[in-house]
Amino acid sequence: MSGLRNALDDLDWSGWLGAGIVGLILFAAVFAPLIAPYDPLALDIEDRLAAPDGSHWLGTDQGGRDVLSRILFGARASLSVGIGAVLIGAAIGVSAGIFAAYKGGLGEQVVMRVVDGVASIPLLVWAIAIVGILGVGPLPVGPLLLPNEVKIVVLVGCLFSPVFARVTYAVAKRVAGADYVRARFLQGASHWQIVAGEVLPNCLSPIIVQGTLLVAIGIVIEASISFVGLGVQPPQPSWGTMLSDARSAIYSGEWWLPVFPGLAISLTVIGFNLLGDAVRDLLDPRSEARTLVA
Amino acid sequence: MTGPILSLRSVCKSFPQGGLLDRLLGRDSRLVALDDVSLDVMRGDVVGIVGESGSGKSTLAGLAVGLARPTSGEVLLDGQPMTELMRNHAGPWRRRVQMVFQDSSSALNPRKSVARCLGETLALRGVPKVRRESEITELLTLVGLGPEIGPRLPHELSGGQRQRIGLARALAMKPEVLIADEPVSALDVSLQAQVINLLSRLTRELGLTLLFISHDLALVRTLCSRIVVMRKGAIVEQGPCLDVLERPRHPYTQALIAAVPKGLAGRRTPSPALADAGADPETREDIHGAA
Amino acid sequence: MSPALLSVEGLRVGFRSADGGMVEAVRGVDFSVAPGEAVGIVGESGSGKSLSMLAVMRLLGAPARVTGGRVILDGEDLLAVDEKRMRALRGRDIAMVFQDPQSSLNPALTIGRQITDVVGAHRNVSTREARRIAAEALERVGIRDAAGRLASYPHEFSGGMRQRVLIAMAIACRPRLLIADEPSTALDVTVQARIVDLIAELRRELGLAVVFISHNLQLVAEIVDRVVVMYGGKVVEDGPVEAIELAPRHPYTGLLKACVPSLSGPVGPLTAIEGAPPRLGRLPAGCPFSPRCPDAVEPCASEMPALVADAGHRTACWRPR
Repeated sequence: MSGLRNALDDLDWSGWLGAGIVGLILFAAVFAPLIAPYDPLALDIEDRLAAPDGSHWLGTDQGGRDVLSRILFGARASLSVGIGAVLIGAAIGVSAGIFAAYKGGLGEQVVMRVVDGVASIPLLVWAIAIVGILGVGPLPVGPLLLPNEVKIVVLVGCLFSPVFARVTYAVAKRVAGADYVRARFLQGASHWQIVAGEVLPNCLSPIIVQGTLLVAIGIVIEASISFVGLGVQPPQPSWGTMLSDARSAIYSGEWWLPVFPGLAISLTVIGFNLLGDAVRDLLDPRSEARTLVA
Repeated sequence: MTGPILSLRSVCKSFPQGGLLDRLLGRDSRLVALDDVSLDVMRGDVVGIVGESGSGKSTLAGLAVGLARPTSGEVLLDGQPMTELMRNHAGPWRRRVQMVFQDSSSALNPRKSVARCLGETLALRGVPKVRRESEITELLTLVGLGPEIGPRLPHELSGGQRQRIGLARALAMKPEVLIADEPVSALDVSLQAQVINLLSRLTRELGLTLLFISHDLALVRTLCSRIVVMRKGAIVEQGPCLDVLERPRHPYTQALIAAVPKGLAGRRTPSPALADAGADPETREDIHGAA
Repeated sequence: MSPALLSVEGLRVGFRSADGGMVEAVRGVDFSVAPGEAVGIVGESGSGKSLSMLAVMRLLGAPARVTGGRVILDGEDLLAVDEKRMRALRGRDIAMVFQDPQSSLNPALTIGRQITDVVGAHRNVSTREARRIAAEALERVGIRDAAGRLASYPHEFSGGMRQRVLIAMAIACRPRLLIADEPSTALDVTVQARIVDLIAELRRELGLAVVFISHNLQLVAEIVDRVVVMYGGKVVEDGPVEAIELAPRHPYTGLLKACVPSLSGPVGPLTAIEGAPPRLGRLPAGCPFSPRCPDAVEPCASEMPALVADAGHRTACWRPR
């Protein structure tokens, strides 16, 4: 695709930085078993609370577990919740937004009022409350047992859906009124052809931007839920549980315990935000012409 | 003797105003866009529909092309009621009426190349894949463009080129009636003439019936055989184009004619040279009460 | 010839392009406006007509900026004065109205407040006096019950009325030069005619000099004394309106006039100018019109002809008519 190559040429330094950070973290999550220097679960009482040095770059925790390895494995929980929730939220929200914008009339009113209702739920509080009510154990759904992580992903995804619905609705409303959509309708194209061929492709760019930004929020939510003990269960590593375990260390001087997981969260959030901004610029089909508009 | 290809019988169109709450509480009012409009368009006619904003001319275009249904009254396409035809959305009648839009930048999907835009149109007409490429070239030639334009995206084209593609897309359906809603008002003057000449040639060569919606009387005079003057949702005057423009009967038509810029002939301030020649500056007091 | 009120000399405006270079959109524009004179600047999109006047007002926004030339208003170079001085001149000596009356007014403030703000910024008067001046300005632009309308918000006015409000705002401080950038283009034709009438009338009554920017030569010719025709960032012709209308020398001016149909004369195919207006950064070395010009000869595409003056009528063409 020469379009993509041109787009990459236009990427500015902040875009590259964002892409670099996100790429690095994705790499860490996928290849954690290969690159982690230690087993993230292996206890080593002899070597507990060791400060960063040559053998443990980021030190060890109260159980003598290697912090670097736990951060690398923790990236898996964080990213899978962030990305999974965004995919679910986008699937629900984009369908709802496009339906409301394209259909119009009563359907539009009903869908968007439901969206308003869901959006009025304070996200984090409800996520914590619902997981708290359902419990942290696997949830039986018919013959299936849903692990706790899946619950969180679905829940956060549902809470993200109104954001996607509103973004999509705002763009789709404008696109659906464009003359090229009318022209297609006049040719006798089906609604499905019009939505898939004209409306959706022209709504994608803000949706993708919103998606990258929400991945960052999803990661923070996962960390928060894990922090209060309702997310990833010990001894499995997650950035949130690591921070939670590090609470006592803040006063006793083991600074590396809160700082490194905290940095991992911040860096990931910054990475996705920078990437989101860069993607917004790239996805505009007129980005080349834009500088020449007089 | 065949009847009119397109006719409107006492058509009214109104739009609800106010939000959902207003409507539920029965507080809604309705904006009347067309009020009891009747019009017959004969096959091969080139009809100019003129009026200002709020005259209902674009609403009329939407009804004639089947984008909207009248609140009351009937739109007939070749004697058949449009509402019946519209039950079969993708029916063959769709091909018979096509539209060219005003704003060439919103008329084309910014993410589709010219060839893809025309190709998908031809696909809906049922042209087999093997013939599409040659038909695309034919269409481009018809509107005065070369095949090299096929792979381009809309933003890579000039406004005039985009408007020609919009015309080619409408013609790809082989319509009998073409409705052009202010097709040149967004173009530079030097490009307007090109597109108007093209429209004029194509309607003649393809035997099209054209509804040309415009606020520009001089363009209508150049292109059209008949003229329909609209104001506030009603037709105030209609007839053969040159007759109406030379002997307008309705004061509104007269006001529109008076408002057309006339260059030196319409001087408002006596310039020294013209004062010497004894020219009489036109004050246009006659239209001050017209809005 | 009387000394000029405004004189634009060698004005250049450029854009920073995506690859870091500069693309020039206004390429050395010279013209002047005498006190009380009405000058029309006519051109198509990309001609640089609006950019030139925004540069005169020092209202260019990034990425456009002035890259050369001088703008002399009454002996003072507007491009050289500091921003404070420019703010004092803007609105008091030189005012501008734009094409879109909708976006030029603040929807949240009454029009009275918006006009008195302008008056207060330039004249040391009491609030009561400022309101009187505002009401007088509204009355002058033909708004009935002017004093009562001061409390109205922009949305309570029609498009044509809003443009009148903007003109009232522009003339409230009695500037000597009014720049009108396509002031009637977004309006209905009958409203357009009345706005043009209003500008002609104000000019007569207040002795205003007017620069009227438009794409429509026929419209401009109704109210101006002199027409400056621009194409591809250059002035191609500049002369008295009668000469431009009756005996244009540049082929572009002639074609521009011919391609607009009129309500009189024979009906037939229009004279079209082939090709499209030039795109920025893709201008020929010579005359910008040469790719579309039916009269183009040998030096046209490679060498820009100078703007040659002949009894107050300037033409930049190798083969003037």
